[in-house]
Amino acid sequence: MSTQPIKLGKQRKSLFKDKVMQLLPDGGNLNACLTCGACASGCPATGLAGMDPRKFLRMASMGLDEEILKTEWVWNCTLCWRCLYVCPMKIDIPQLVYHARKSWPRDERPKGIRASCDMALKHETCSAMGASEEDFRFVVEDVLEEARANQPGWENLEAPINKSGAMYFLNQNSREPVTEPDEMVPLWKILHTVGADWTYATKGWGAENYCMFLADDENWERIVRIKAKAVDDLGCKYWVNTE
Amino acid sequence: MVEVSGDVGNFTVKVKKNPRYIEMDKCIACGLCAQKCPRKVDDEFNMGLNQRKSAFIKYGQSVPLKYAIDGQSCIYLTRGKCKACEKFCPTSAINFEEKEQIVTLNVGAVILAPGFKPFDPSGFDFYGYGKIRDVVTSLEYERLLSSSGPCMGHLVRPSDRQEPRRIAWIQCVGSRNTNRCDNGYCSSVCCMYAIKEALVTAEHTSGGGLDQAIFYMDIRSHGKEFDRFYEGAKAKGVRFVRARPHSIDPGQDNHGVTLRYTTEDGRMQVEDFDMAVLSIGMEPSADSQGLAGIFNLELDHYRFAKTTDFAPVSTTRPGVFVAGAFQAPKAIPRAVAEASTAACEAAVALMPSRGELTQQKTYPAERSVSADEVRIGVFVCSCGINIAGIVNVDEVTKYARTLPHVVLAENNLFSCSADTQELMAKKISEHRLNRVVIAACTPRTHEPLFQDTLMVSALNPYLVEMANIRNQNSWVHQREPERATAKAKDQVRMAVAKAGLSVPIQRSKVNVVPKALVIGGGMAGMHAALSLADQDFQTVLLEKSDRLGGNGWRVNTTDRGLAVRPYLESVIERVEKHPKIKVLKNAELKTAVGSVGSFVSEVRVDGEERAVTYGVAVIATGGKESRPEEYLYDEDSRVMTHLEFDAVMRDNPAALKKAQSVVFIQCVGSRDERRPYCSRVCCTHSVKAAIALKELNSQMNIYVLNRDIRTYGEREDLYRKARDLGVIFIRYDVDRKPVVRREGDDLAVDVFDPILQMPVSIAADHLVLAAAIEPNVTKDLVELYKCAANADGFLNEAHPKLRPVDMAVDGLFVAGLCNYPKPLNETIAQAKAAAARAATILSQTEMTLDAIKSFVTEKCDGCALCLDVCPYRALQLEDYQGDDSRTHRRITTDPALCKGCGLCAATCPKGGVYVHGFTLDQLKAQVAAALEAA
Repeated sequence: MSTQPIKLGKQRKSLFKDKVMQLLPDGGNLNACLTCGACASGCPATGLAGMDPRKFLRMASMGLDEEILKTEWVWNCTLCWRCLYVCPMKIDIPQLVYHARKSWPRDERPKGIRASCDMALKHETCSAMGASEEDFRFVVEDVLEEARANQPGWENLEAPINKSGAMYFLNQNSREPVTEPDEMVPLWKILHTVGADWTYATKGWGAENYCMFLADDENWERIVRIKAKAVDDLGCKYWVNTE
Repeated sequence: MVEVSGDVGNFTVKVKKNPRYIEMDKCIACGLCAQKCPRKVDDEFNMGLNQRKSAFIKYGQSVPLKYAIDGQSCIYLTRGKCKACEKFCPTSAINFEEKEQIVTLNVGAVILAPGFKPFDPSGFDFYGYGKIRDVVTSLEYERLLSSSGPCMGHLVRPSDRQEPRRIAWIQCVGSRNTNRCDNGYCSSVCCMYAIKEALVTAEHTSGGGLDQAIFYMDIRSHGKEFDRFYEGAKAKGVRFVRARPHSIDPGQDNHGVTLRYTTEDGRMQVEDFDMAVLSIGMEPSADSQGLAGIFNLELDHYRFAKTTDFAPVSTTRPGVFVAGAFQAPKAIPRAVAEASTAACEAAVALMPSRGELTQQKTYPAERSVSADEVRIGVFVCSCGINIAGIVNVDEVTKYARTLPHVVLAENNLFSCSADTQELMAKKISEHRLNRVVIAACTPRTHEPLFQDTLMVSALNPYLVEMANIRNQNSWVHQREPERATAKAKDQVRMAVAKAGLSVPIQRSKVNVVPKALVIGGGMAGMHAALSLADQDFQTVLLEKSDRLGGNGWRVNTTDRGLAVRPYLESVIERVEKHPKIKVLKNAELKTAVGSVGSFVSEVRVDGEERAVTYGVAVIATGGKESRPEEYLYDEDSRVMTHLEFDAVMRDNPAALKKAQSVVFIQCVGSRDERRPYCSRVCCTHSVKAAIALKELNSQMNIYVLNRDIRTYGEREDLYRKARDLGVIFIRYDVDRKPVVRREGDDLAVDVFDPILQMPVSIAADHLVLAAAIEPNVTKDLVELYKCAANADGFLNEAHPKLRPVDMAVDGLFVAGLCNYPKPLNETIAQAKAAAARAATILSQTEMTLDAIKSFVTEKCDGCALCLDVCPYRALQLEDYQGDDSRTHRRITTDPALCKGCGLCAATCPKGGVYVHGFTLDQLKAQVAAALEAA
């Protein structure tokens, strides 16, 4: 960071932080910081890119807009909310980070997140790994069949797909069906054991939403709507997102 | 409390009295019921860290010391069988037939002092309280440290009962938090208790590897002498870490804890501690809210009793007053002072019926003992098992019978119980005792009781002598009962030797001049005068300038935003028109002679001297804003102090409205080498001023450069509000203070931001300096009254907690800024408290003084060595005509000033001055007895 003094005082800069505050309920309490550091103490991204949540907010308060809109740290943040959870003032640092992400030109945002968002937009499955409706159905049925056959006591295990009127509509992170299919089974067992009336769907089953992490509001919404429609189309009462 | 009706002067209050199942007049607190009770429950006083019985006392120092049975857990009361306590109680005090009673009281005023509830941190899952065993609350820790606590003061941690070496305190748990709880206020006491606990821990533990670390946001050591305590703790090695750990993780094998925290400059640290202490805050309890409902009182948004800055202990219901933490979180000194404030308000409210219920105790005429042979009775106390558990009291009693002049020696279970007093009186007359020795506890607490028993028995009260075989014996020699018994015999032998030489001493009396002198006509002085005059005491108010009001003229608003000026004018008007108050302006105190109940002073008024007689004085000489000597003050007109800023705000706010940038610098002249104290009011003042500026012009940039922000109590709301309005707070270290310079025509303030680790340069239109408050010079006054001031020149109270508005000189009381910097509401509360305390003297027609005083013998030759050592100025040198008709010199002592400390007697090389009750003969006899073998 520059050792040139931060110039403050007479002229009023148009602060990025103030703009974000206008968008948030109670301004996200962004002014209320006591600089206590509880956020930084618990943040998994503290120290990355020479930044931490307290410092990030402090820079925003001091009007160092250029620096906070440039730092790659906003992509190190996982938006996990650990900071917000313990903050004595309930300061919504994740939203400040989110809006900083949004300020980046889309094509300069991290390629991994961007590609996952783009991939999810390609199919109505919303899978960030690009798994199609057929792939998903095949994998689920295959794994189910194997589990029933090989795991004593689970001969009646179920993994319904597109079951109209089921109580619960279950999402599934793409990583499991695509790379670790057996990892789906424990959840099915739990649902089976409690007697839940649930279903997967071939549309909108991908639980992840990288467009949200990309701060691409429009496509974030688009993906949510596809999923919501899939829930409605099957007439399910609850939508359970395992992400 | 069940119900209240009526109004101020005539309330009818219904109180539900729960049964205690032990009759208080029969219980002698022997403890047998608790010993025999088979039912164990968690001991709530020790925060459940150990167990008590269903028959119990809350703690050893309970007043009155009477047992009770907890009906919730008692086996008999819950299941109908047991009554073990009843079988063993030696006085048949157990009464399972006791029922809940409704008691109706007719009172004129009510004082509510229900206290607070310690914050329960169980809801903060990130600290693991209740899951990680070595995470405790500060109150639990307090019990762990206490010698009367569950581990007798030998600190151990809960997980393995090992002594912890490394301990972390986490501040502001349940305070200054609007996320995980709704306590936006500062609890105001936790910084100091954490420092105290850390220091006491250091005393309780020894060896290497010790570490006490306090994790904090701001250290708020804002009270008198608090900053010295804080700096002293730093010097003694207590580690202060400005950081807030995110969460507490269990340590290895579930012992101790691991903390991860980020330092102010952004470095992540991981440290293991043996224990973590959560410094929990204060909350109004559900009970006190119920009380407010019954009384129909308004509560504030935090559910504390609503009061105003001008009437700090008055609730919204006339005649109902509040004391302590139910009004706002506060530490003991203020809670005790405000208890007197509440007493003052109640006394004013009850004025018409004052004295109606007063009863005077009468005693039989004292019988003369001078011609009688010495007949000593010795009463050896078992104090339940307190003494008898260690010392063989039977052996001591038998031994006492063998001592010279002893005609009776007996053992009592509790010498202080009411029935034993009756028994003693009976024995005194039966055996014609004329000296009494009580071998029990300390005369500090119990001598007055036994003196009273002697007076009831027509004996002079100074014919009793105590041997402290509890505090100075059984309590400290628990592992050596035999040697403790031998020592008790020595102690009894010494007391008997001394008692044999005791003679009756008369307590002198002074007539009380029913008039008060109040020195200082500021807010404190005027409120003290009004409170005294409203109780019908004639009051003389001295003001050195030509107008009343003091600093009140220069402050715009109170902390809660009330306008000071109109209130000040109304107070001045009341003072000047009050028939009982005589105001002397341009007045100066020239002399002061006399003592409590009867003082005389020469006062110079408008150049003329006049005499004032008075029984008590309230000193309220005030303080002032100091003149800064840095930051271009006096060199640049844009640099001003708080009070100068207030004046501009009052007279020309338009000038400030145009400003684009205003900087405040805190601790200008406070918390430095010259004035090592916190001026207490400046953080709140700056924050208020910043809010006022933001309200004038929300676009203004405002910066507050500070060392810690100390907006204690509910003032924290103002700090929050200022931040919400966009005021920027930048912390600086005392070794890296801000630099103010001119940059062309502009004023520039350079400071280093500790979070960003970057220099910041602020262009300012105005710079406001939070100049320190210093006491007005009171050297003359201190000389005249021989009262005491601290190293900073603030007048001292007799005891900061126990006697917060009394001065060490009897009859003098203190209030306002001359005592310590404080905001207006606290000044008003303290002034009224001083008036209440002063009224306790003025309401008597004569005062009885203690008889333990120095007296002059014929051996005095006037060498005057003793004059220099007397700390109370009780000795004077006088000339007198001897039998040889030549002029000789000798000293005289003023019994009203003498405290009987004995420095004079110890200094005198020729037996010219002694202290009654401690004459050289008596002391010699005691020493000789000590050297004899039993």
